Amino acid sequence: MSTLLQNNQIINGELTQQSYSIDTFLGAGTQGEVYRAQANGRDVAVKWYFPHYIQNDLQLRQRLENAIRKGSPDNNFLWPLELVTQQNNNTGFGYVMPLRPNNFKSIVDLMRRRAEPSFHALISACLALSESFLQLHAKGLCYRDINFNNVFFDPNTGEILICDNDNVDVNGATGAINGTPRFMAPELVRGDAPPNTESDLFSLSILLFYMLMLHHPLEGKREASIRCFDQSAMNKLYGTEPLFIFDPQDNSNAPVVGLHDNALVYWALYPQFLRDVFTRAFTTGIEDQHGRIRENEWRVILINLRDSIFYCRCGGQNFYDSDSVKNGENQKCWACNHPLVYPPRLRINNAVVMLNHDTKLYPHHTDRSQKFSFATPQAAVIRHPQDPNRWGLQNLSTNAWTITLPDNSVKTVEPQRSVNLTAGISINFGNTVAEIRV
Amino acid sequence: MEIIKRPGGAMANRPLHFFWLADCSGSMYGEKIEQLNYAIRNAIKPMQDVAADNPNAQVMVRAVKFSTGAQWHIATATPVEEFKWDNLTSNGVTDMGLALQLVAEQLDVSQMPERCLPPVLVLVSDGQPTDDFNAGLAALMSKPWGKKSVRIGIGIGQDVDLEVLQKFIGNPEVKPLQANNAEDLVKYIRWASTVVLQAASAPASQVKDQVSTGVVPIPQAPVASDVEADDVW
Repeated sequence: MSTLLQNNQIINGELTQQSYSIDTFLGAGTQGEVYRAQANGRDVAVKWYFPHYIQNDLQLRQRLENAIRKGSPDNNFLWPLELVTQQNNNTGFGYVMPLRPNNFKSIVDLMRRRAEPSFHALISACLALSESFLQLHAKGLCYRDINFNNVFFDPNTGEILICDNDNVDVNGATGAINGTPRFMAPELVRGDAPPNTESDLFSLSILLFYMLMLHHPLEGKREASIRCFDQSAMNKLYGTEPLFIFDPQDNSNAPVVGLHDNALVYWALYPQFLRDVFTRAFTTGIEDQHGRIRENEWRVILINLRDSIFYCRCGGQNFYDSDSVKNGENQKCWACNHPLVYPPRLRINNAVVMLNHDTKLYPHHTDRSQKFSFATPQAAVIRHPQDPNRWGLQNLSTNAWTITLPDNSVKTVEPQRSVNLTAGISINFGNTVAEIRV
Repeated sequence: MEIIKRPGGAMANRPLHFFWLADCSGSMYGEKIEQLNYAIRNAIKPMQDVAADNPNAQVMVRAVKFSTGAQWHIATATPVEEFKWDNLTSNGVTDMGLALQLVAEQLDVSQMPERCLPPVLVLVSDGQPTDDFNAGLAALMSKPWGKKSVRIGIGIGQDVDLEVLQKFIGNPEVKPLQANNAEDLVKYIRWASTVVLQAASAPASQVKDQVSTGVVPIPQAPVASDVEADDVW
């Protein structure tokens, strides 16, 4: 097979003057080819551009140099480390980046069900994505091309990696890439506006919807009525006439049974607060850039979503939906169809954390001043050492908690001690108060 | 037994019908037909990889051979994962028009599923049609799925009628590819069966200011290699 670079070919790092030896061809995209390479016994990845792509994207080199100078927004990016060139080749170049470990799977694997994360791991991946794009946007950068092929995740842990960072540019700069169909914001599909942070936010909402629902949020009846799914069909569906499949005001693009089953199954399964935020993302957020859901809101929603997971006795992970509980709806397990039995739960401000056998609380839950921190567990659900029928919440923090019992008596829970999971007990963690509900 | 972690099935997708139209006329005899066989066999794995990485399409492959008359080489729409290539042999004239007629019959709405991605037709030839090419093309274009198809033309050697291939393509933005050596043929066949396949179902990142009038935007084809004298047909 003919590739741009050959096995054992040496290319040179511009920054470190290091020699990289090309090892294996890993794949090709529209811009170039990616190889595994070695330097000093260390494996890295090298992306080498097609000559015709370099000619078309005049800012490429400058953009890469900026990205390399600025450095990665956080550890979840396979960020360009340095430019590489070849002796006796003045025009060709590429860049070095960290190599993606094998435990990371693509979003395509997720869509094709070749990677099966638990809900917990999947939501963790969605959360990590929101946090990493927040870091990138906070640096004044725009990603421009969020899509299936640029994100990888570990189905066991929900860790993520974001690749193809060579299109990243300062927000508002004129770049070469407009995005990928199905992910581009409507104003980009129509050619009305260039990519910016707000269009990234739209693409992020699409990607999150895809990951959580295994379906596109705009593919309903209108998609079903299209025979040949060509460019004009895509322009209409994603650009000129975008309509959310669950738009509460207009059901003319509702999902079709038999064609869009994933959308129907998952939409009903998740709590109302997730449905509400996706509804905003794809109704008010579809035309109005100011209506797009920002990463910080996604973080709150996704943490709450992960905290509402509980187990059916069959092992299936289900979601606690306080709205449906309030309405007196009897939830059944999606996996075994048995009526669900709710475990004890903790009400912290407006959120509910299910107290499963393996639940841990973090500073995010217990310390108002440390929102989004999941550094060290502060509490864990634990079984009583003598009485297996008693469950408690163990204080893993370094401060004593003050608890108020239903009879208004007050007690102290020292570090390492536990409080019974009894309804009505309220726990003061320091600056945050929570109440146990059963 | 592993517990089911999440409900539902794989992401919904659509069939994409891919057709090879291969010239097996006498002038292809010898190296040319063997190089075409090799190039297509060489493209199977990359084609399968691209299809496996594309959740939007279910790729089905068929092949027509034409010389004196036209016949199905792979008559049944075969899932790309099961696609194998039996070598072609060459003999006879170049009834390209008949090949288009055969494909046109299969692109009739009565023969196609209700909802599909644009079909992809890749025509490979080294000469000029000896039958009524225009009638074949008209038959193809009379079918809605024919009109909506993405058509790629690959010429082998210097004697190919590029004008005919351009007419087949029917889109001034996409030029016929002329392979003057075995290496280029491998490259072009691979491009048609991977990059074009991908473009027809899940278009890649869109380059700014790219204007496309076709069924789907077709990314740039690979450039021909520097021709070496003894490698030229």
